Amino acid sequence: MGTSLHELSVTVNGQLRTLRVPPHHTLLRMLRDDLDLTGTKECCTEGECGACTVLLDGTAVDSCLVLAVEADGAELTTIEALADDEPLDPLQAAFVERGAVQCGFCIPGMIMTAKSLLADNPQPSRADVVEAVAGNLCRCGGYTFIVEAVLAAAEAER
Amino acid sequence: MTFAYHRPRTIDAFWDTLAGSPGGVQLLAGGTDVVVGLNKGTTVPAAVVDLKGLDVLRSDIAAVDGRLRVAALNVMSDLIRDERMRRHFPALVEAAAEVGSVQIRNRATLAGNICNASPAADTAPPLLVYGAMVKILGPTGDRSVPLRDFFAAPRVTVLEPGDVVTAIDLPFEPQPRGSAFLRVTRRRGFDLGTVSVSCLVARGEPARFAFGAVGPTPLLAVDESGVLGPEPGEPAAEGEAIERLLEVTSPISDVRGGREYRAAMLDALSRRVLARARERLERGAVGPG
Amino acid sequence: MTLRPGSPFGESVPRAGGIARVTGALRYAADLKLEGMLHVKLVHLPVGHARINGIDATAALEVPGVRHVLTAAGLPSPVPRFGPAFHDRPVLAAGEVKYYGEPVAAVAAETEDAAAEAAARIAVDYEEVDGAYTLDDALARDAPLVQGPELRPDDPLARTNVLREWRYGWGDVEGADADVVVEDTYEFPMVSHFAIEPFAVVAAVQDGMLTLWSPIQHPFVLQRVIAEVTGLPMSQVRIVVPDLGGAFGGKGYPKYEPLMAYLALQTGRPVRLVLSLDESFQASRRAACRVYIRTGVDAEGLLRFQDVEADFQIGAYADIGDRVVSKASYTATGPYRTPNVRIRARSVLSHTLPSTAFRGFGVPQLAWALESQLDEAARQVGLDALEIRLRNLALKDEEFIPGDRRADGRWEQALQRAAHEVDWGKPVPEGRGRGLAMGLKSSATVSVTNAIVRLHYDGSVSVLVGTTDMGQGSRTVLGQVAAHELAVPVDAVRVVLGDTSVVPFDTSTSASRSSVFSGNAIRLACEDLCAQLRSLAAELYGVAEEEVALEDGRVRFPGHEVTYEALLREYFGSSRGELLGVGRSRARYLPGHPLGGAPSFWEVVAVACEAEVDETTGEITIHKLVTVSDVGKAINPKHVEMQDEGATVMGLGHTLMEHLILDERGLILNLGALDYRVPTAKDLPKDLRTYTVENGDGPGPFGAKGAGESGILAVSPAVAAAIREAAGVEIRDLPLTPERVWRALRERDGAAGPLEQAARV
Repeated sequence: MGTSLHELSVTVNGQLRTLRVPPHHTLLRMLRDDLDLTGTKECCTEGECGACTVLLDGTAVDSCLVLAVEADGAELTTIEALADDEPLDPLQAAFVERGAVQCGFCIPGMIMTAKSLLADNPQPSRADVVEAVAGNLCRCGGYTFIVEAVLAAAEAER
Repeated sequence: MTFAYHRPRTIDAFWDTLAGSPGGVQLLAGGTDVVVGLNKGTTVPAAVVDLKGLDVLRSDIAAVDGRLRVAALNVMSDLIRDERMRRHFPALVEAAAEVGSVQIRNRATLAGNICNASPAADTAPPLLVYGAMVKILGPTGDRSVPLRDFFAAPRVTVLEPGDVVTAIDLPFEPQPRGSAFLRVTRRRGFDLGTVSVSCLVARGEPARFAFGAVGPTPLLAVDESGVLGPEPGEPAAEGEAIERLLEVTSPISDVRGGREYRAAMLDALSRRVLARARERLERGAVGPG
Repeated sequence: MTLRPGSPFGESVPRAGGIARVTGALRYAADLKLEGMLHVKLVHLPVGHARINGIDATAALEVPGVRHVLTAAGLPSPVPRFGPAFHDRPVLAAGEVKYYGEPVAAVAAETEDAAAEAAARIAVDYEEVDGAYTLDDALARDAPLVQGPELRPDDPLARTNVLREWRYGWGDVEGADADVVVEDTYEFPMVSHFAIEPFAVVAAVQDGMLTLWSPIQHPFVLQRVIAEVTGLPMSQVRIVVPDLGGAFGGKGYPKYEPLMAYLALQTGRPVRLVLSLDESFQASRRAACRVYIRTGVDAEGLLRFQDVEADFQIGAYADIGDRVVSKASYTATGPYRTPNVRIRARSVLSHTLPSTAFRGFGVPQLAWALESQLDEAARQVGLDALEIRLRNLALKDEEFIPGDRRADGRWEQALQRAAHEVDWGKPVPEGRGRGLAMGLKSSATVSVTNAIVRLHYDGSVSVLVGTTDMGQGSRTVLGQVAAHELAVPVDAVRVVLGDTSVVPFDTSTSASRSSVFSGNAIRLACEDLCAQLRSLAAELYGVAEEEVALEDGRVRFPGHEVTYEALLREYFGSSRGELLGVGRSRARYLPGHPLGGAPSFWEVVAVACEAEVDETTGEITIHKLVTVSDVGKAINPKHVEMQDEGATVMGLGHTLMEHLILDERGLILNLGALDYRVPTAKDLPKDLRTYTVENGDGPGPFGAKGAGESGILAVSPAVAAAIREAAGVEIRDLPLTPERVWRALRERDGAAGPLEQAARV
């Protein structure tokens, strides 16, 4: 079985990147292995945990369920697109301040999901936030602080 | 474990690709079922054909000839947001909202959900009660198949090699009706349905019920007795009518639920979804859009 | 000790390392990349118990990019075995697969794809044989033995699957009078840790050191095990711990690190293994448990006796499973005053994946039985759940386990608070019920922690301590302790963890011990440092040491003040230098004590619940869930809240939805995230609150105890009690899935016709 590589051009965090990947590699793998953007995490690889959430053309998706080749011509936003130090993006700051960060492994996915929510719905209700992050599993905490952090970030951005 | 990947731009290129892939192809739209299989190694295709390059499959949800048309590449999030969908086909919106997380809904296509043909496909029961039609483009031309004739067996549809679903049509109906969708799951968070039921009631028409995860395919059942109409009837008669409807189902035991529980939930959900559909009819479901 | 104004102690200082986590910059084990790294894939078989006749790697070795295939044949003979308590676990399966998921071979290749391709081509000649997959299987007279009797020649239990039997007790259970006796059996399922970070290990030989990067809770345990298993001296083994993406006990003890050590040594290249989530599910779990319990009370509801028999289903290898059994069963009678007690507990081996430590360390399993039965006894003497507990709860300083640490708190405050928060005593809303439960766990017994605090030439501070951060924020909390003790800002302190070449020995990060042990060690190291600062000042400025105060990073005495930095500069001059403070916190081994030592504190919680049941579907709706933990003093209140909430929700998980489902051949049917259900944001109680009681009763800094486990101890019995009141059903095994509740409701109603054997769901 041949392993022909496909060339793709994808804009990642505002930067145009050209790569050659085998078709079976997922977007998640491409980000982590080929682009060394390890902020996006791998966990279940079946779209159940949300740890791999990125924005694909502005929409939150599980990057483990997108083949890298499908993203040819697309715009990707990963956690690394947000601030890497002070001043932090309001979501990042709120997550730290509100006690939403414990081990941190679910956090990049949570933040990207929240980013997508706030872009669509700048004044979400608590129920909206719960619905939005329902696809992101956290095992350390009980979600309450994460929901508080998203609501606080929404407030801060107003 | 790798495969050839194609993304044809035209339907002719699509058919050429199929012709040039003797080992068979796996069609790919949203990927929320297919890529899981690829990742887990349970789907091992020689070639994957990405349908997202085909303009013939892509369009906004549109009202066409008395139907609301969902193009093959429309995703669950599109359905949930569509005002006409919410007004006229609320049970489908309810089901689409439960297909999975927002990340899943942003990718999963309605067409993909039915083509995957899981007996537990969430959108199938509402689509069945709404009398959805599946528009198919094949090498010999277009055709339209009622969804109730579309499922052949678990994970098997009536699609032939070379066929591709282009759209799913939901007929608008002139008279008011009420419809609803309910599931039982293992937790409140996103889950596969242990049992799902949808119902549609309208005046002067037999009530329609559809069931998911309780047979080799999603199942449609029409209440010919007329007992389960818009007005609540005598409880014993209603119970019997529901029991008769459920004769088409054959729940099994698996890791998500036991047979007896499923059977009991079918009965319970059928009653609840009927009550909800009646209530919606009462409140004034709408006519044509 | 008084708190200085402006001291960070007791403040909710933001999580150190928080920024690295919200920016994606923090590198977990799977994010590490070393030059020349080989990728490793494990080979395991779709079988619960099998004999291996041979492994053929020929086809695998033909895959381009494959560099090495390791099987037991490539290891020293007899195959090295390891384990924290019993050296029973082979580095790789040798001749036999004892549980579904046990690796039989490992492939190292230039790329992950090549490794996966090759792993699929390893041909294993094996035959499935009968296995003991359930407790009953394992305890049957003719049960297939998990361990060969030759492994424990002098053990009378060697020809059984009972690894150890533990007996505790006092008084005379047989002779005790009771007006009411209740007896029942309770079951607790196998549960998975499901940390969001799957296991990952990197190993490499660098500059004569064998280095392993592993998200392991106890780096010094790993260092010792690797040294033992490879024959290298500890000085040539280095463990570096990337911060963990959650652990909950599941990443405490070595699993695949010994294998990776061999791969690094044999290939001469760095090697990297990242398990899939499914494989992670096959690497650790909680011990399942069946408890038969008999309780006698008098007419006033006072406990007269308790008789407990607990069988814990540990896995094919002991790991720390037997310790879970011995420690948890020792406190099987909970925080109560029980005059006559008999406890018999057994660790039972089975052909299932090894159980290990899991938050709560056996207590959730036993509290499930104890607390549920206490409620039953209460009903029979006409008391409510609060009243029977108040009557029997040990009071502060009461000796409730003869000869052991006395009750170290006003535990009734936690109980009263929890009850109050759910309006106990006031009318219950229609259709709902309320439940109350308590949990008690002993903390660390025998252990030692060292700390080194370095005051650098520029006045900044490094704290070196061997604990690890698995999400509980130890770096933050310990930084607060040091900052407080040295009177410097929190930002001037950097806590260094988890590198055995850099930090001093710490027994473990477990048993909620780190705030106390690391906290105390750091406090002592800082005291040492402060004494040196005073002594320097005395020497340089001719003042008496008692006159020297340390505030705001300065040394102050009448007429003069100088920063630490200036002091060091003056003292060391052109040679420069630093000051080192060293501290050690130790709990000694007590030869007479059943657990090897008394616990340094008791971790106690009270849980209250208000819930209702959908009579048709069996679905439970939790309206209120409240936990109150006695923590002594919260060093970082926010961190305690975060931990308690997480522990409570994890407890909800095993109460409502989590269990591993095995078939009759020992295969797990619900590996992974799709069918192993854990709580999502939509599964929370409508009102979830956690509180603390802080009376300064602990042995740690400012009376701190440890925290982090209490929240999970007693959720199940509180919820089940609420359901019992709401719907009149008594359920004695977990989880309380909708289907199981539905079955209980049907049985309550005397459903016509026999119910089928319950699906495992």
